[in-house]
Amino acid sequence: CTDDLNITPNDDQTVLSENLFEDEAAYKQVLAGIYANLALTGTDGPESSNLKNIDAGTSQFGRVLLYTQTLSADQMIWSYENDPGTREIQRNIWTAQNPLLLGMFSRAHLSVALANNFLRETTEAKLDSRNVSEDTRANIAVYRAEARLMRAMAYYYMMDLFGKANFADENTPINAQPEVYDRTQLFSYVESELLDIEDDLVAARQNEYGRADKAVAQMILAKIYLNAEVYINEAHYGECITYCEKIIAGGFELADSYLHNFMADNNTNSATNEIIFPIVSDGVTTQNYGPTTVMVNGSVGSIEKNGDEVGVGTEGWGGALRVRREFSSLWGPAFADDDRNTIISAERPIDIPDISDKDTGYIIQKYSNATSTGQLGADKTFVDTDFPLFRLADVYLMYAEAHLRGGGGNLATAVGYINALRTRANNPSTISSGDLTLNFILDERSRELHWEAHRRQDLIRYGRFTGGNYNWAWKGNGSNGIAIPAHFNLYPIPVGSMAANPNLTQNPGY
Amino acid sequence: TVTEQSTSIPLPGVNVIIKGTTTGTTTDFDGNYQIAANNGDIIVFSYVGYATQELTYSGQSNLNVQLAEDAAQLDEVIVIGYGTTTRKDATGSVEAITAEGFTKGNIVTPENLINGRIAGVSVNTSGAPGSGSEIRIRGGASINASNDPLIIIDGLPIDNKGVTGSRGVLSSINPNDIDSFSVLKDASATAIYGSRASNGVIIIVTKKGKSKFSATYDTQYAFGEITNTVDVFSADAYRQLVASQPINGTTINENLLGNANTNWQNEIFRSTVSTQHNISMQGSLFKVLPARFTFGVVDQEGALKTSKFERRNLSLALNPTFFEDHLKVNLNVNFSFEDNRFGDAGQIGAAMRYDPTQPVFDSTSPFGGYYQHRNGNVVANGTTNPVASLLQRTNLGDANRLFGNLNFDYKFHFLPELKAVLNIGYDRTSSKGFNSTDPLQATTDPDILFKGTFNKNSQERTNELLDGYLNYNKNLDNIGLDFTAGYSYQRFTNEGVNGRNITDPLSVDDFYADPDVVLIGFFGRANVSLNDKYALTLTYRRDGTSRFSKDNQWGNFPAAAFAWSISEEDFMKDSNTFSSLKLRVGYGITGQQDIDQGGIFLNRYRGGIANSQFQFGNQVIQSLITSEINPDLKWEETTTLELGIDYGLFNNKVSGSLNLFQKNSTDLLFVAAVPDGANFSNSIIQNIGELQIQGAELSVNTDVIKNEDWKIDFNFNATLLDREVKELALGQDVRTGGISGGTGNNIQIHREGEAPNSFYVFKQLYDTDGRPIEGAYADLNGDNVINDNDRYVKENPGANAIFGFQSNVFYKNFDFAFNLRANLGNYVYNNVQSSRAQYELLLDNAVLGNIPTSVLDTGFQRTADVIISDIYVENASFLRMDNITLGYTFSDISKVLKSVRLWGGVQNVFVLTNYSGIDPELSGIDNEVYPRPRTVLVGANIKF
Repeated sequence: CTDDLNITPNDDQTVLSENLFEDEAAYKQVLAGIYANLALTGTDGPESSNLKNIDAGTSQFGRVLLYTQTLSADQMIWSYENDPGTREIQRNIWTAQNPLLLGMFSRAHLSVALANNFLRETTEAKLDSRNVSEDTRANIAVYRAEARLMRAMAYYYMMDLFGKANFADENTPINAQPEVYDRTQLFSYVESELLDIEDDLVAARQNEYGRADKAVAQMILAKIYLNAEVYINEAHYGECITYCEKIIAGGFELADSYLHNFMADNNTNSATNEIIFPIVSDGVTTQNYGPTTVMVNGSVGSIEKNGDEVGVGTEGWGGALRVRREFSSLWGPAFADDDRNTIISAERPIDIPDISDKDTGYIIQKYSNATSTGQLGADKTFVDTDFPLFRLADVYLMYAEAHLRGGGGNLATAVGYINALRTRANNPSTISSGDLTLNFILDERSRELHWEAHRRQDLIRYGRFTGGNYNWAWKGNGSNGIAIPAHFNLYPIPVGSMAANPNLTQNPGY
Repeated sequence: TVTEQSTSIPLPGVNVIIKGTTTGTTTDFDGNYQIAANNGDIIVFSYVGYATQELTYSGQSNLNVQLAEDAAQLDEVIVIGYGTTTRKDATGSVEAITAEGFTKGNIVTPENLINGRIAGVSVNTSGAPGSGSEIRIRGGASINASNDPLIIIDGLPIDNKGVTGSRGVLSSINPNDIDSFSVLKDASATAIYGSRASNGVIIIVTKKGKSKFSATYDTQYAFGEITNTVDVFSADAYRQLVASQPINGTTINENLLGNANTNWQNEIFRSTVSTQHNISMQGSLFKVLPARFTFGVVDQEGALKTSKFERRNLSLALNPTFFEDHLKVNLNVNFSFEDNRFGDAGQIGAAMRYDPTQPVFDSTSPFGGYYQHRNGNVVANGTTNPVASLLQRTNLGDANRLFGNLNFDYKFHFLPELKAVLNIGYDRTSSKGFNSTDPLQATTDPDILFKGTFNKNSQERTNELLDGYLNYNKNLDNIGLDFTAGYSYQRFTNEGVNGRNITDPLSVDDFYADPDVVLIGFFGRANVSLNDKYALTLTYRRDGTSRFSKDNQWGNFPAAAFAWSISEEDFMKDSNTFSSLKLRVGYGITGQQDIDQGGIFLNRYRGGIANSQFQFGNQVIQSLITSEINPDLKWEETTTLELGIDYGLFNNKVSGSLNLFQKNSTDLLFVAAVPDGANFSNSIIQNIGELQIQGAELSVNTDVIKNEDWKIDFNFNATLLDREVKELALGQDVRTGGISGGTGNNIQIHREGEAPNSFYVFKQLYDTDGRPIEGAYADLNGDNVINDNDRYVKENPGANAIFGFQSNVFYKNFDFAFNLRANLGNYVYNNVQSSRAQYELLLDNAVLGNIPTSVLDTGFQRTADVIISDIYVENASFLRMDNITLGYTFSDISKVLKSVRLWGGVQNVFVLTNYSGIDPELSGIDNEVYPRPRTVLVGANIKF
């Protein structure tokens, strides 16, 4: 009876691949698994993770993206520096051992692995062998395009943050040591993949909520073109304008209210017109310690105890998040009534001389677990608020910037877009074409898109992230900010990742 | 009458046989016997542990015999895997302790019967009532896979994993039922259990039925007291401290101070009373069926309020023989009913933290009359009243266990040298848990205010065994032959449910079931001895496990050992110094497959639980995520080389062993990084790395005095251990050792060339007065930035040397015993101080919190600046007296009442250490340790 050694799972949560696809509904569930990797950290609750060597909850895709793109720059401070990695990220003294960087690198690559697996399981040959029905096959064609889109998106973030990645596609065997793509290779791969699938994706705004459509591919294209000078030393602003125009033509509209984008019902309120792609969060069914849960709980003030207003515990996380002086200073008197200005400054000094003193520095109240109609989310910790990874306002600002950087388009249109954002925010002071400068756009992007995981990329594009031409509080570990070396424009390859794949080499300077 | 030579106490159960016949009997409880004998018959008196005597019968009506204890017990039977041997014939490293030698005291769980008694074996038990222990034999053999030894009870290898409602796998076993422990340490002894033998094997044999009636009643009462708590500020000192405003840059709101004086640690701990009763009876049922029956009751209060352990044990052993002893049948059935109430040990930390100026009770509080820091209707963020947290929570676990085995041992009629043994074992533990909190428990969430929580859980583990073997044992003139060959099949299952919180309509049940674990083995052993001088043992086992894929399921585990009894050689035979001397050499390979993950070689998808779903179009969809996979996973192998000497000096007044060993574990089952994007995790379990453990063991047992009135013996053992990680995946460090204070901080590292679990810390800088400078560390890599690259390895938790010392003193009817243990070179990271003793923690979110007084020494302000400092890595070497007992025996009281022993003792008598925490004996990281109480014991042992 040595055959007894060949066991099968007993748990009803676990299914073997040979049994799974007997039910054609499984294809969509496996596709959902690729998307879920952006929202969940594991299958067994918010404290579970399919990654190791990083705290489970912290390893959420949007969370590590927020840390690498926002916490590392001038908009945000995390009070609890004994959470490993946070101190080094927000003071720009990171090393290749940083667990948050490992989380980012590994989580994005897991998206690649999950997408590759889906593509392997849905080849024509496999579908033939399983006698998959025509209806399902038609759906699978779209699913495959979405899987490739998620894979391309992962490689876009790797290109932006680390400048290289393990390159694995559906032809790469499990447990292989993949070849490594540098920035140039990643750029052309991401570009060609997105162009290739553009036609297979569902038209903008026509897919189910939570799934990606054409506009998501166009958004990533617009972003890589806008930043092409950083990535491959080539200007592609014209293509950026083209793709911004395509997205806008897709039928998106600004939400009725700026704050609708950041509320518990942003999957149903007017924000659905504006959000191009969300990272889903639900306080009951999709619990995670992702960016919205962290930002809603974290931005509750230590003095203000304003958690009740935003649908979490009265004291939230006791003042985990605050903003730095440079961000606070963006809001002059002209922005007193601007909806985007959610700063709470009463009783608070603007400066943060000691990061652990949660009573210093201003706080903001941008994200909320309350709905547009004043209901509170179902759970007091895990918020219902989806994270708006891409939204129309960003496209407007990208259009204006690409125009100024010589990408063509129309100045009046660009100014119109900026003013549309201001008008929507109930800010009476609109701008004229003379006001539209690159410096203005950088500040306006911060006002519009702060805490949405764009800031590091923006500062690098403007040449202000490293070096000393723009120093913000705690940059380079000085309370008033000091210069940091140019190699900090890329993050180091995490040591664990590098060791596991000898094809990876460390980024210069680390 | 047969009596014991030194004490003249009658010996019951002595075998009395007429030599060369099957005529025989055993002595009764008074040592009396009757036998029909003819003149000239040789009558043989034999008893385990005593030298056999032969007398020629010459017509006496009374033949009184005094049996002398066999000092070196060289003929003592030692249970080894699938058979027995004697101390004299053993070729491997095997140590046995039988019931008479067990440690006496407040022993609730069986492993403490041998704690400190056997070289190379360490047992670490927490202070929680009935709690399980960490048992290590020669420091284990693995890093990521299990380091637990294989424990075998009456031939049934038990599962090392417990159930939620139980305190541990051995907690359900009544120590009074145990007859002997054998510890198999080297590969030649353990290889017969190849698949699971790398961490050593502990064989437990339970007591059997005997044909003569006897009964004993044991009872004891234990009074426990916590003797040591972490020093935090008293209420008055705390008020002064707050008034001095010691937090740089922050003002503490002194209005938050209360008027009470509460020592919260005194409030959560209590003096305990525990009792044990045990009745055992043995005798022949219907005059033909030797049987033993025990009933044991343990009621143990935990020092932490509400925690308790209750256990009822019923065990029955039936040991009939058939066909003139050709067929022996042993049936053991044990029922254990464990009723636990778990006290949340996290409240020990809360008690250190809670504001000492606040009272325990507050009549105005809506939360059941307990004081809470209130914030309107809810409690303020911060620690909640630990007394309320304990008393308002009911966390019960009932674990019912049935285990036992049925063993047939048949000696062939036509070939008595050959016997066949069949063993069927079964072990099932099912537990039910109830965990509820009072609706009046404090909460920060107004939505669940005054609702409480109520969860149920249940779990069931089973373990089924079938094994059988043939044994051929023949002594030719000078050659002894002993061959064994057999087969073993074992299956483990585990399933259960973590129930929903029924007060929360959104919560759902979570059912789980592990993949079955199936282990199949074929084994053989050959012992050949020549002239009682040379003995060779060859062992081979081929094992299959369901944990690996078809291609890697099977592992082969050979071993060989050679022993040379030098003292049997002519040139030594007349030595006055060496009464026995044996040299042993052993070599063998054992395996390891005990990993947490089941089915990792399978291509699996896992669906999310109810709160790990995804949403498409505002519809919930259960996402399926591919699970990590490693089809190449295979056995971890440990190669052990051992050189040993067993010695007896001065007519065996001094005896013991000296062993040198080296264990190399290769293909370590290790969770290590895989290339990102090439698997469904960034780290999976793989076979990478090598661990080497070198060590030496010495044991010395001496009879210092042995005469009519006095008997004094000393038993000493010492173990030296050196552990080194020889190789890791791609040479990469692995971080481990999660600590509190921050989310996901690690303090330990596995690194090539270092001991596993070494502490990995910053090097603290000090000012000219020798005070540590907060946040100032040596720039070890000289790059002018202090970051993770400046951490270094400082010591490790493993002891370099472990000592045990035990002594028994008998004077007339008095008996006195104590034992001592010491560990040297074991280090502890004091997480209690590192995460608590900083001034900023006087603010506990919105309220005030207490901190350890050691902050006065360091002056540290912020946890984040100091938590990785090497000042928290402390030498935790210790000398500990576990037990001291004194007893007096009234013997020959009446015909019915044979003897009464009254005794008293103290457990956990003292600990000498420089370690600053409350207990130095823990595995590396000191964090909210459940303290071991000091216990005063009185008891009686009554024999009928």
